[in-house]
Amino acid sequence: MVRALRRVGGMLLTLVIASFIIFAAMYAAPGDPVTFLIGNPENLTPERIASVRAQYHLDEPLLAQYWHWASGVVTGDFGRSFQYHQPVGEILAARVPITLSLVAYASILLAIGGIGLGVLAAVRRGKPIDTAIVGGTTLAASIPSFVLGIALVALFAVQLRWFPVAGAGSGGVERVWALTLPALTLAIGALAIVSRVTRQSMIEQLSSEHVEAARATGLAERFIVRDHVLRGSWGPIITMVALVIASMIAGTVAVETVFGISGVGSLLVDAINTHDFPVVQSVLLFMVIAYMVVTTIVDLLLPVLDPRINRTAVSA
Amino acid sequence: MKKSLQMGTRVALGLSAAAALALTGCSGSGESSAESAPLEAPFGDTTPAAAGPIDSVTWMLGSEPTTMDSDIDATTADDTVLANVCDRLMQVQPDLTLGNGIASEAEWVDDTHVVFTIRQDATFHDGSQVSTGDVLWSMQRHAAEGAAESDEYQNVVSMEQTSDDQITVTMTQPDAIFLQAMAGDGGIVWNPRVIEAEGDDFGGPGSASACSGPYQITAWEPGSQLTIEKFDGYWNTDIDASAEQVVFRWADESAIANSLTAGEAQGAYLENAGSAAAFAQSADVSVFQGPSTNAWVLETTDRGILTETDVRRALSLALDREGIAAAAFGGLAQPWKTPVGAGAWGYEVEAFKAAFDELDGAPAKPDAGDLAQAEQLITDAGVAGEQVVIASNGSSSHNVIANALVAAAKSIGLEAEILVVPQAQYGDFYSDAELRGQADLWPDEYYISKNDPLGFYKNGKSDASVNFGVFQDPEYDRIVDEAYAATDDAERAELTIDLQQRWVENAVWIPVVATPSTLVMSDAVTGVPSSAAFIYYPWAADLGTAEG
Repeated sequence: MVRALRRVGGMLLTLVIASFIIFAAMYAAPGDPVTFLIGNPENLTPERIASVRAQYHLDEPLLAQYWHWASGVVTGDFGRSFQYHQPVGEILAARVPITLSLVAYASILLAIGGIGLGVLAAVRRGKPIDTAIVGGTTLAASIPSFVLGIALVALFAVQLRWFPVAGAGSGGVERVWALTLPALTLAIGALAIVSRVTRQSMIEQLSSEHVEAARATGLAERFIVRDHVLRGSWGPIITMVALVIASMIAGTVAVETVFGISGVGSLLVDAINTHDFPVVQSVLLFMVIAYMVVTTIVDLLLPVLDPRINRTAVSA
Repeated sequence: MKKSLQMGTRVALGLSAAAALALTGCSGSGESSAESAPLEAPFGDTTPAAAGPIDSVTWMLGSEPTTMDSDIDATTADDTVLANVCDRLMQVQPDLTLGNGIASEAEWVDDTHVVFTIRQDATFHDGSQVSTGDVLWSMQRHAAEGAAESDEYQNVVSMEQTSDDQITVTMTQPDAIFLQAMAGDGGIVWNPRVIEAEGDDFGGPGSASACSGPYQITAWEPGSQLTIEKFDGYWNTDIDASAEQVVFRWADESAIANSLTAGEAQGAYLENAGSAAAFAQSADVSVFQGPSTNAWVLETTDRGILTETDVRRALSLALDREGIAAAAFGGLAQPWKTPVGAGAWGYEVEAFKAAFDELDGAPAKPDAGDLAQAEQLITDAGVAGEQVVIASNGSSSHNVIANALVAAAKSIGLEAEILVVPQAQYGDFYSDAELRGQADLWPDEYYISKNDPLGFYKNGKSDASVNFGVFQDPEYDRIVDEAYAATDDAERAELTIDLQQRWVENAVWIPVVATPSTLVMSDAVTGVPSSAAFIYYPWAADLGTAEG
């Protein structure tokens, strides 16, 4: 109980520190939000600039501005977007589900593909198939995601017309359909690291004593792989998959742009370029929270999968 | 008076480095192949008329609409939608001339009074009648301090309802382009009952329609799409919209190109003309261009040798505009001699055209004579070998222009270097004197929202907010005032042409290229304007199937 409280307290403290750092970074970034807020250069008169600055509290010192924002957040008010003029909560509510479904879809593909290939490579280590998997995934990882996305769109959407070229679909099956290419793009780039960790971790297990013992009892190789080798390898695999997922949440920008998806990534880039403070702040905090949630889940999951891992040691 | 260009272009261009690379790479036939296969795009006000009705059309926007409350702000995407949804007092026509809207008549009764006669047969989307009082309420909302269009009302002293169907506007001074402004966002007629009921939520997704146009917004799913449907109770029975429904989606240039190529969308007005080059080889998508007021210009700051008129003229003479049009815009921009595009010629077109043809000082491609003259100007000014600092924000268009400028400067005996300013800071050149102090000039795309060149040339007045100090001429100021007072089109055209001549002679801002309005459209549909009228004129009502 105390441990859980300490953990939650630590997360809150992280959030406060992160939010302040983000706010200060935006404050220090070059460019003046007023130019965007007024828009029309012919209206950029000193009086208008002063009145807009006052209206958005931009004439106040950093700490005062941060306080305005933070005191709103405590009451659930994340402010209004400078660019969209809508409450930030509503803007995020429309985009977070799209990005999360994209990342979830990519994670499933990544987990199945990455772990599957890793197991195959480990079992057939040294054989041509192993070389092919290691070489192929490394090659795939070296292709930037936007290049891969462009290639996939050109072939499967524009030429073959199997998938829609842009957008995230309106929901249900249509959404899964529309997100297939973007999810593949995200997943393929990360296959190498997951399959490599799986392979390495399994190879260590394959030559371990308990596996030799199991083999000596005459168990079929596939049971050995499933119940002894893979079971003992989960720790590093799950940790790596989780880290990749967490970084995906913050790294969907290029894929969203190529596939015309209005998700959190493209929202963030737009918001940074237009000095939309409230949106930048909230999107980045969402990313920080998502990161913390993923890592927490891993911490809770690992001891379940592998009882050798000591709970207290993990939480410390 | 120039609308929020920054919002539009920045958002479109404002991508991470990776995504920007994606843009150029994605269209597959980006700028490089455009040079090898020049694109033939017909140039005109409108596309061939529609042959028949169509149930649903998908139209692409360069970015998601931000708000449907134009008094807060209006990006190009917002305007492209609002043009079909809201009526204005006056209405821009596809050929960019001025027609009537909710005001069936508008007349200057003397120098400072204009009377609008309000038609009484229009209805809002909620079924209520558009009353004269509603129109007055809307004008007062536009004029309120801090409203996005309030500058259009800066000369207005009072607005009153002077009879059942008349509104009289009193001005401090004559304002010949006030009627033009009433065809823009400053002339939108709102339903006060809806706006008051919606409060702060007005304009956002899900808020009710406060307009009376031929279409109404039926759904806006943020982050996904926005749908408008034909409004059956539209007052103007001359407009029988052939498209029942238009679904707007938004994406970056590359995804727009892919959507059209794959047939998932039928059209788009592009924010960057050059990106139409992707359709050079397309069998079933056509590119159309039409007049707009947009032009790329070199804006000079109040430092360095470019404060001298002769040095600016020399640079203008040496600039390879044709090369820029080809390299930065895939041949879809036109070398231009004035700082505002042909779309500004909303009246007396022949007079403006003739005057334009006679202008010199801004050759499409400098010949030996131009270069010799430019070199002589530099020598006479005694600045040979001195340095010019050119700002760029790193976008491909800016870089091409900046590099062409470096070449031009070197060809006439000047030194030049490029100063790269982050995209997010570039717009600050308009507001930040300290930033201006770091460069001698910065290229930018400029446009005005009214189809009257006077709306641009007023920027040369000594006290104009975008006159950064290189040009002060009391005579010019006097002519601007005189032109504003000239409600007679022919007279105003003559005065404006005089201003144009003075501006170009002094090379206040150096003109580069005009970027026409650029429409890409599936061959299955047709009918919409190809001019820049699409930001205010209900273009979707003209959209229908192509013959065959």
